[in-house]
Amino acid sequence: MIIAERRPIPEILRNIENYQKILVLGCRGCVAICSAGGDREVSIVAEAIRLARTLQGKPIEVLEDTFIRQCDPEYLEPLKDYQGKVEAVVSLACGVGVNLIADLYPEIRVYPGVDTSFYGANLSLGEWVEKCRGCGDCIIDRTAGLCPIARCAKNLLNGPCGGSQGGRCEVRKDMPCIWHEIVERLKARGELEKLLEIWEPKDWRPAGGDGLRVRVREDLRLNGGKKPWR
Amino acid sequence: MEEKGFKLSILCCNYTNLSEREDFFEVPVSLEIKRYPCSGKIEITDMLRALREGAKGVMVAGCMPGTCHNGRGSERAEKRVLGARKILEEIGLEPERISMFFVNRLDGEDFINKVKAFYREILNFELKGRERK
Ligand code: SF4
Ligand code: SF4
Repeated sequence: MIIAERRPIPEILRNIENYQKILVLGCRGCVAICSAGGDREVSIVAEAIRLARTLQGKPIEVLEDTFIRQCDPEYLEPLKDYQGKVEAVVSLACGVGVNLIADLYPEIRVYPGVDTSFYGANLSLGEWVEKCRGCGDCIIDRTAGLCPIARCAKNLLNGPCGGSQGGRCEVRKDMPCIWHEIVERLKARGELEKLLEIWEPKDWRPAGGDGLRVRVREDLRLNGGKKPWR
Repeated sequence: MEEKGFKLSILCCNYTNLSEREDFFEVPVSLEIKRYPCSGKIEITDMLRALREGAKGVMVAGCMPGTCHNGRGSERAEKRVLGARKILEEIGLEPERISMFFVNRLDGEDFINKVKAFYREILNFELKGRERK
């Protein structure tokens, strides 16, 4: 899922300093699961804003709502009800949600309430770790299912580097060297020779090197779709 | 005599303690006691709201670890206090204004002593604040 983290309250406050009535808008998708932008966090951020503004002697009215998703125009429809009623929206969705609100509701001032961090797994309560970087051209069929792009500090495609020591990464001692793990795992499977194959140079266009990334499924599109995308 | 406008809020689990306002006559401030079915039910929002509604300090009280009626409610409350403190730090308030206290189940004296100690700590913040003004 997409992992996000609440922005420091002073940063949120700075964006809304001139407003007297705002909406804090959560999302029940990834950001709710990673405890950054679901119902509970909406209530916390809203109350933190109220408290800070009360202490500043500039009380503010903060409405609270949480949508099922913010990355889908359909689910953003209810935002219309807030138009003209609030001066700004602080969205606790990932950057996708904030961008989509900005696209669809140009007259609404929307500000991010979280920093969108990475795609990761929830290893245990309160711990999330990056696993994939969405490069668009997956190579982990060759690396025993372990992603060196996301999980090697140097994003090497031909590791381990000379700094790998005792299975630990030289850049971050608290992290395993993922290339060490890839080699060990392939060795155990008797598939180490897979790494001897010469790979084609990786195509980085699907990773974003070719401008905005778009995925189209003609078999799903209706009425010619939305092109040009915005 | 009560310090005018000085309010402390006690957010507390029903099972932890039954002390009421009159048991705290030695603490010369206005005390607000809110009870919850379990201290694990006390949200960060509740703690922040108490401050916004005028409390100078918020004491979250739960049972000693291992004695919680619902398993680990008070440990959860302790973690939430950490989350609330982080926000206080960010907005420039002393984080200790929200504090977790583990109290012996139904031991009124222990509870009252902890309230007194908390009151003294918060009073210090207030006096320092006044000096700065
Ligand atoms: S190779 Fe690319 S798509 Fe595959 S896991 Fe790594 S970053 Fe993700
Ligand atoms: S030690 Fe391993 S994980 Fe770290 S940078 Fe080198 S190859 Fe990558």
